Amino acid sequence: MASAGIVARRTGRRFLSSLPALLGVLVFTFLLMRVLPGDPAVFFASGPNAGKAEIEEIRRQMGLDKPVPEQLVRYLGDVARGQLGRSMTTGQPVLTDLRQRLPASLELTFTALAIALLLAIPLGIAAALRPGSVVDHAVRFLCALGVCVPTFVSGLLLIYVFYYLLGIAPDPTGRVDVFAASPPDITGFLLIDFLLVGDWEGWRAAAGQLVLPALTMALFVLAPLARITRAAMLSVLGSDFIRTARSLGLPRRRVIVTYALRNAILPVLTIAGIVFSTMLGANVLVEKVFSWPGVASYALDALLASDYAPVQGFVLLMASLFVVVNLTVDVLYGLADPRVSIE
Amino acid sequence: MQEGTGVTKTSMRMGGLAAAFLTALVVAAPAHAQSRAETLRYVTGAAVNTLDPTMPGTTREAFAISLSTYDRLVSFGRKKLGDNWVFDLDAIRGELAERYEVSPDGLTLTFFLRKDAKFQDGTPVTADDVKWSLDRAVSAKSLAGPQLLTGSLTSPDQFTVVDPHTFKVTLPKPDRLALPNLATVYAIIINSKVAKAHATPEDPWAQAWLKDHAVGSGAYSVDVFKPGEQVVLKRNADWTGAAPDKPAGFKRVIAQTIPDPATRANLVEKGDADIVIDLQANDALALKERGKLKVIATPQFNALTLISFNTKMPPFDKAEVRQALAYALPYDAMFKAALFGRGKPLFGATWGEGDPAAAFPVAQPVTLDLPRAKALLAKAGLPDGFSTTFSFNVGQAATAEPMAALIRESLEKIGVKVEIQKLPDAQMSTQVSEKKLPFFTEGIVAWLPSPDYFYRNFYTGNQRWNYSSIDDPEINELAAKARFERDPAKYDDEVRALNRRNFALMPQIPIWQPNQDAVMAQSVEGYTYQFHRQVDYRDLSRK
Repeated sequence: MASAGIVARRTGRRFLSSLPALLGVLVFTFLLMRVLPGDPAVFFASGPNAGKAEIEEIRRQMGLDKPVPEQLVRYLGDVARGQLGRSMTTGQPVLTDLRQRLPASLELTFTALAIALLLAIPLGIAAALRPGSVVDHAVRFLCALGVCVPTFVSGLLLIYVFYYLLGIAPDPTGRVDVFAASPPDITGFLLIDFLLVGDWEGWRAAAGQLVLPALTMALFVLAPLARITRAAMLSVLGSDFIRTARSLGLPRRRVIVTYALRNAILPVLTIAGIVFSTMLGANVLVEKVFSWPGVASYALDALLASDYAPVQGFVLLMASLFVVVNLTVDVLYGLADPRVSIE
Repeated sequence: MQEGTGVTKTSMRMGGLAAAFLTALVVAAPAHAQSRAETLRYVTGAAVNTLDPTMPGTTREAFAISLSTYDRLVSFGRKKLGDNWVFDLDAIRGELAERYEVSPDGLTLTFFLRKDAKFQDGTPVTADDVKWSLDRAVSAKSLAGPQLLTGSLTSPDQFTVVDPHTFKVTLPKPDRLALPNLATVYAIIINSKVAKAHATPEDPWAQAWLKDHAVGSGAYSVDVFKPGEQVVLKRNADWTGAAPDKPAGFKRVIAQTIPDPATRANLVEKGDADIVIDLQANDALALKERGKLKVIATPQFNALTLISFNTKMPPFDKAEVRQALAYALPYDAMFKAALFGRGKPLFGATWGEGDPAAAFPVAQPVTLDLPRAKALLAKAGLPDGFSTTFSFNVGQAATAEPMAALIRESLEKIGVKVEIQKLPDAQMSTQVSEKKLPFFTEGIVAWLPSPDYFYRNFYTGNQRWNYSSIDDPEINELAAKARFERDPAKYDDEVRALNRRNFALMPQIPIWQPNQDAVMAQSVEGYTYQFHRQVDYRDLSRK
């Protein structure tokens, strides 16, 4: 109970201290978008006969006819009231768009991270146990491959093999089979929603759609996770307490998993946190290749159209998520190693 | 040693678990809910962003959706161009109107509405709805106003309800484009009772509400609308506009956004998608060669690609400089590298007796002729050439990038140094609009491809679409006159004069009309190339 209180207090304090950073990100993005040379009003007045009057009207609708400081004050006021403006690209309020698309991105990223960890930790351990062996070199090769091949190449390759040639993967077009009935909309996480309504058929279909994009992303982030696991395990395995444990004749599994891995997991957690935050924004190519309706491709489309509101909303969202992820990693530190307490 | 092996086993067991998890997911079978044969799955790289086509920023995909969800008073007929069906600007037939009459002086259009026409909520379509909808088109702040202006439709006073099934449009001048304008995507007929119920004092034309709600009488109603992802349409069984008197061919239409062109090609080749029109030229070529699918290639006869000069910016303010560059472009190489030859070239013509034709665009008598280009440059006082930039937007990169490289290489031979500039789409349109680019490539499209319309929109006035900023008294006068010319022979003469003048001035070089490669399953029939360059789902059916 007391420790829960400490965690809550720490969380609250960290959250408050991140507010100025969030505000800074907000103002910076706002100004950056206005410095970019593209004019959204001209872009959206795209009808063959749209003239000066139409461009002015769009500018007025988007609030761009006012001076920049006034625009900024209005924008901050809107954000404080929980409004992020309207996207011209989709015609919807940015908040609605992000709310619909964030679960898609999160579901993909969580799954990819889970797959990556499930693969990377055993690989890292195996490599650390026998450094310089064939296993170690094989792991290093796999990691190099994962990092070198851009995600859109590996994604297209996976699609080509599993969808086009073998035909065992469903068509790589978004989160659900397009011919199936609309999925339940409870949390936005399809795997959870299908579980909640007990629709196993739907769950399997949604999971099937998820596996190729998640695998693509997992391959890409395999390297940092596996390498850091290997390095951390190497140093821990060489330490005195492991030697003691071994000499006491403790079971191998206990020595490796309970003593060595638990001590080696802190740097892996840190990297996993960073990898997670990066993946959310950097998976734009995966989202494009798999037509995944996530936030990153949404932001990219908006950026190409100089559509201010969605880009600003996206950056704010990413900054907030980064704060949350860091916080979570800190809390997990405490769980992994009770000696650590970060104030 | 022994210990090491044991632990490796542990980690391998964890790896095996991961592998088993993955296999379980991959094998998951898709569940098909409705009959596949009655569904049309259309995939595209673009997205639908509104259900109201008059909204500023409406995408072309959204136009396609609105064509099916709403009816207009009239629509274009179709004709054969080569082996393919294309829309016919000169054959306008009734859509909501069962027939129409044009008065002998061309100033009054009378429409007789179909008596059985119903909105999708079951209420009858009346002339009051037509009046409200067209009033909205010309009054509300949207992109409909400027379009209808090109047909002299500007004020609600021009629209009169005669009786519940008769509607009259009066024109200040006999404008040849008045009737065709009523067939474009902006002249939709909206269920005015429903729309008015959602109007507010700030938004008297219910523009905010209609963005997300389609209340028309069209062939399909909207079942699912996920902006940027997909739209699912359901057939309206009461609609009988598919000539003669039949509902639309497919029970359900899924229009889905698939950003990656290679994935779209895979989907249609595997038979999971039925039709796609925006593949990369080389993919379309490969699919055609494999012969499994139907590939209908139609030159986009109402669109063309241009290489434009800014005639207000030195050295392009000199006609000789523009002509010199026109003889220094590697047309054949560009056509092969950028389009893989899939289009209609507008270069390398020879104008004989009777040329240029009374049409737009016409193939230009220009070829790669470097000595001639050099001579023209010398005549312009620039024998040593000059430096400039050539710009294109990211969205066109697939075709413009090889073009730009070839242009740079060729112009170097006459001493013109070209720097290539690739701009994000919004930046490109801003700079074009502000007339800041000296030398660039862009495309133009006219829904109503009559020659005078092309000249008025793209060759006159200080506005964005006049890419070359040309302001020539002769072109201005001829284009304005041709608009209201009722004598066909005189009209043709004026168009010929425009074409000749344009070639002499060379403000921009028409280079080609790219094909629209519609790639579809063998079973899909009825595809017609439409004015908005999208698929009209109502044309299609399955064998």
